[in-house]
Amino acid sequence: MRIERDRAGVDRAVDDELQFHFDMTMRELMTNGLNPDDARREAERRFGDIQRTREKLATIDRSRVGRERRAEWWSGVAQDFRYAIRGLRLKPGFTLAVVLTLGLGIGANATMFGIVDRLLFRPPQFLIAPARAAALYFGVTNRGKENLGTSVSYPTFLDIKANTSSFDAITPFFVDQLAVGEGPATKEMKIGVLGADLWRMFDVAPAIGRFFTPQEDSLPTGTAVTVLSYAFWQTQFGGRRDALGRQLSIGSAKYTIIGVAPEGFVGFSPDPVAAFVPVTAESNAEIGPGLRLGRNRSPWYQNYGRIWLSLFARRKPGVTVAAANADLNRAFQLSYKHMLTVNPKRTAFDRARPRAFVGAVLRDRGPDEDNSAKVASWLIGVAGIVLLIACANVANLLLARALRRRREIAVRIALGVSRSRLLMQLLTESLVLAALGGVAGLAIAQWGGGVMRHALLDDEVTIDSAFTDPRTLMVVAVLVLAAGLLTGLAPAAQTSSADVSLALKSGGREGAVQRSRLRVGLLVLQAALSVVLLVGAGLFLRSLSNVRNIPMGYDASRLLWVELNSRGTPTDSVHDALLRDQLRDRAAQLPSVARAARAITVPFYSTWIVSLFVTGIDSVGALGNFTLQAASPGFLETMGTRLIRGRAFTNADAATGPKVMIVGQSMAARLWPGEDALGKCVRVLADTAPCTTVVGIAQDVRRTSIDKTEMHYYLPSAQFRPDQGGLFIRTRGAAPEHAEEVRRALQAIMPGASYVTITPLSTIIAPEIRSWKLGATMFAAFGALALALAAIGLYSVIAYNVTQRTHEMGVRVALGAQASDVVGLIVREGIVIVLPGVALGTVIALAAGRWVAPLLFQVSPKDPPVIVGVVATLLVVAIAASWFPAIRASRVDPHEALRAD
Amino acid sequence: MRTADLDLLQGTLDLLILKTLTWGPRHGYAVASWIRDTTNQRLQIEEGALYTALHRMEKRGWLEADWGLSENNRKAKFYQLTAQGRRQLRAQTAAWTEYAGAVFKVLQTA
Repeated sequence: MRIERDRAGVDRAVDDELQFHFDMTMRELMTNGLNPDDARREAERRFGDIQRTREKLATIDRSRVGRERRAEWWSGVAQDFRYAIRGLRLKPGFTLAVVLTLGLGIGANATMFGIVDRLLFRPPQFLIAPARAAALYFGVTNRGKENLGTSVSYPTFLDIKANTSSFDAITPFFVDQLAVGEGPATKEMKIGVLGADLWRMFDVAPAIGRFFTPQEDSLPTGTAVTVLSYAFWQTQFGGRRDALGRQLSIGSAKYTIIGVAPEGFVGFSPDPVAAFVPVTAESNAEIGPGLRLGRNRSPWYQNYGRIWLSLFARRKPGVTVAAANADLNRAFQLSYKHMLTVNPKRTAFDRARPRAFVGAVLRDRGPDEDNSAKVASWLIGVAGIVLLIACANVANLLLARALRRRREIAVRIALGVSRSRLLMQLLTESLVLAALGGVAGLAIAQWGGGVMRHALLDDEVTIDSAFTDPRTLMVVAVLVLAAGLLTGLAPAAQTSSADVSLALKSGGREGAVQRSRLRVGLLVLQAALSVVLLVGAGLFLRSLSNVRNIPMGYDASRLLWVELNSRGTPTDSVHDALLRDQLRDRAAQLPSVARAARAITVPFYSTWIVSLFVTGIDSVGALGNFTLQAASPGFLETMGTRLIRGRAFTNADAATGPKVMIVGQSMAARLWPGEDALGKCVRVLADTAPCTTVVGIAQDVRRTSIDKTEMHYYLPSAQFRPDQGGLFIRTRGAAPEHAEEVRRALQAIMPGASYVTITPLSTIIAPEIRSWKLGATMFAAFGALALALAAIGLYSVIAYNVTQRTHEMGVRVALGAQASDVVGLIVREGIVIVLPGVALGTVIALAAGRWVAPLLFQVSPKDPPVIVGVVATLLVVAIAASWFPAIRASRVDPHEALRAD
Repeated sequence: MRTADLDLLQGTLDLLILKTLTWGPRHGYAVASWIRDTTNQRLQIEEGALYTALHRMEKRGWLEADWGLSENNRKAKFYQLTAQGRRQLRAQTAAWTEYAGAVFKVLQTA
């Protein structure tokens, strides 16, 4: 008979108790002969401070009531929890199905979150004030088209540093692939190249030793010192302190180890690096003062033409982005003008319209993001859809269970269990299931993250373990909560609308058809979402196959690129040329090598453009970019590029012989439309140069963009930079398998500490098709998952309906229906359920098409074969899912069915 | 009532109330009257403090309260001992007896 459940109740109870006390005391005193006034005074004297006591009692009671309510709530929760666990343990098959379904949904999301978070959201570790840190972006317009990028030359960096006041730190940072170590243990590793300012942008202290200082990162040569990464220190030096002071060969120079960075520090690099070196020391060693860049012989730190540095900066506190942009823009324009005084031939200021601005530190968020990040963001949405489908499925399973338990629930309501308690119980059950699904999802994400990274992202992104990454854990917790509530909602809604007396009377047959409307609704949704995902999968698969079928003009899968890295030892150009010829001859002798040829540029890796002059054309440059390749005889056969007309290079095209060139079809058509290019004269580098005669026309190639062919031409290696470039090697089998064998054979004839690096051309091209591969693989995986879930959902609903209608089937069979009639009836039902979903999904897919269109390759988002194929797939799945329940229904024994119940 | 006596009185008051309730559920007024009558009014206990003690012990779980009807048919809040309250009574009785014995011993040797 407690009434004091709330604040007012507590106050009332205290007043009632005290009122009773005073009434009794006064009555006693008056019985003893006091008049009412004296009795009141005496009673109050005996009691003391009434008002204070009253408040004190209310305070005590309130705290007691609060504690009691909390205890009650917790015991209710504990009871629901025990009840849920017991219920789930009684049905291990059901539990496993639900946990796996939710696990797949949550796992898909956690995996995609891990990737997209790393690409787009998570600031680099240890970065101070990430909101103020920025990558700098630069745009210069050339021939009416703006080239937007992050790279500048060292003198531009110095100009910007000197002429801006908005930043309290500004530094180059980039990752270079350099040979580390000496002798046979030499391995190419990623090296962080940075200015001393970088250390101030991060909240880090060296694990041992120290970081390098601005004095050690100063012109002209810098100091050859290095800070090791923690992982490299551990693996190469066993974490020994005496690593400090030792020498380490990195690239062309020896660096003194002065410190070790803390564990996990990578600067702005997206993935681990082995060591960090000052940009001045590294540039001095790798570019060197002896660099020959055309006629421009200024050292690298004064050469505006050498553009390779990415810059990072931090705005001063209180400086707005707009103010920083204005400041930076002014400094960059000043630098461009300064560059024009040195290189007057560059695009004039008014046409170049140089501009600069601060942008996201994460490259994939910046203006030059690649398609992979966009596709990954799409995949987050796709993963969300998969989770929705999983939830719909689980809701369906729970709903079926709730329908089966209708009687039990009705009995409990009749026994006085409140509906809110019942709701709590159902929600507890679905939350427990979702939590178990979350654990399964983490395991899947752990596995999926690894698979994604290795198979699809070329190890460019490191993903933390899903189990220990707090951001992933938080996302999974939110998903678990959402999934628990979503899946619990349907059966809960069903329960709260349950009509007790009906359920108790009918024994669970009437009403079933009506109730399964919600389940059918969920199925329609599932079918629709499956269609959307499968259409996406189809579109990306078609894109991928289109990309793969593009005539590149060469056989990437059978080509290896050999790059030469001279180390320290200065060599002369005669020896350099000789060495390259020797390497080519040695390679050609290898049994696994079909052909080898020299080249100076690599598709999707490097381009070379020089001025060309053709009689009758005012400015060849105005007609577009003509890219050049310096090739030795046999080059076209090595690459697999067809010669259309004329002849290929021969050994007769020597340095002293008449100058010749081969041009691509597009170039021939552009320069001499309607004429025969063979025999035409082109002057290379200067209009006073002797004629270079076109002797051949080659098939077009794609070298910088997958979308379009390039205007490309070839000069004999002997006649253009005979001392530069590397080799292309055509292998007899798949190129990557022979890379190591070729490397060992060629390394053997490399002089001194110099070395070769071998890269399969397919590896260089891989990032170009990565986004389609990522989209195709993930859409297909998620689409298949969605379809499987939808099929299971459909199966369970049809099977349930069939059991509910055993009676009806019995009657039909008794009235003479054939097995095939019954099967037809049920299968038709399955199709009827799925059809609206298919229609809805198709409409959504068509509507969403225009947003995916930019990510596709030569496929319309309304591609009819894809849509027809998906619709057919869903119908087939619907038939298959209803087939087994239909067969069961057709075997109903009418006697049994009619007697039951 | 002087403040110097408060500590002693606090524990003592709890003890007296617990003892009073060993004969069954009583409302606050009955507890107050019983203590006054039994001690022949020699212990001057402020009734406000008594109610505070009752409520505090209820919160601690030594007492359990319920609404019932008084002898003159009025709604009243009845207190009764819980198992925990009985344990407290035993423990405090023992402690008090020991304390009183020690004091008494000192006084005798004087």
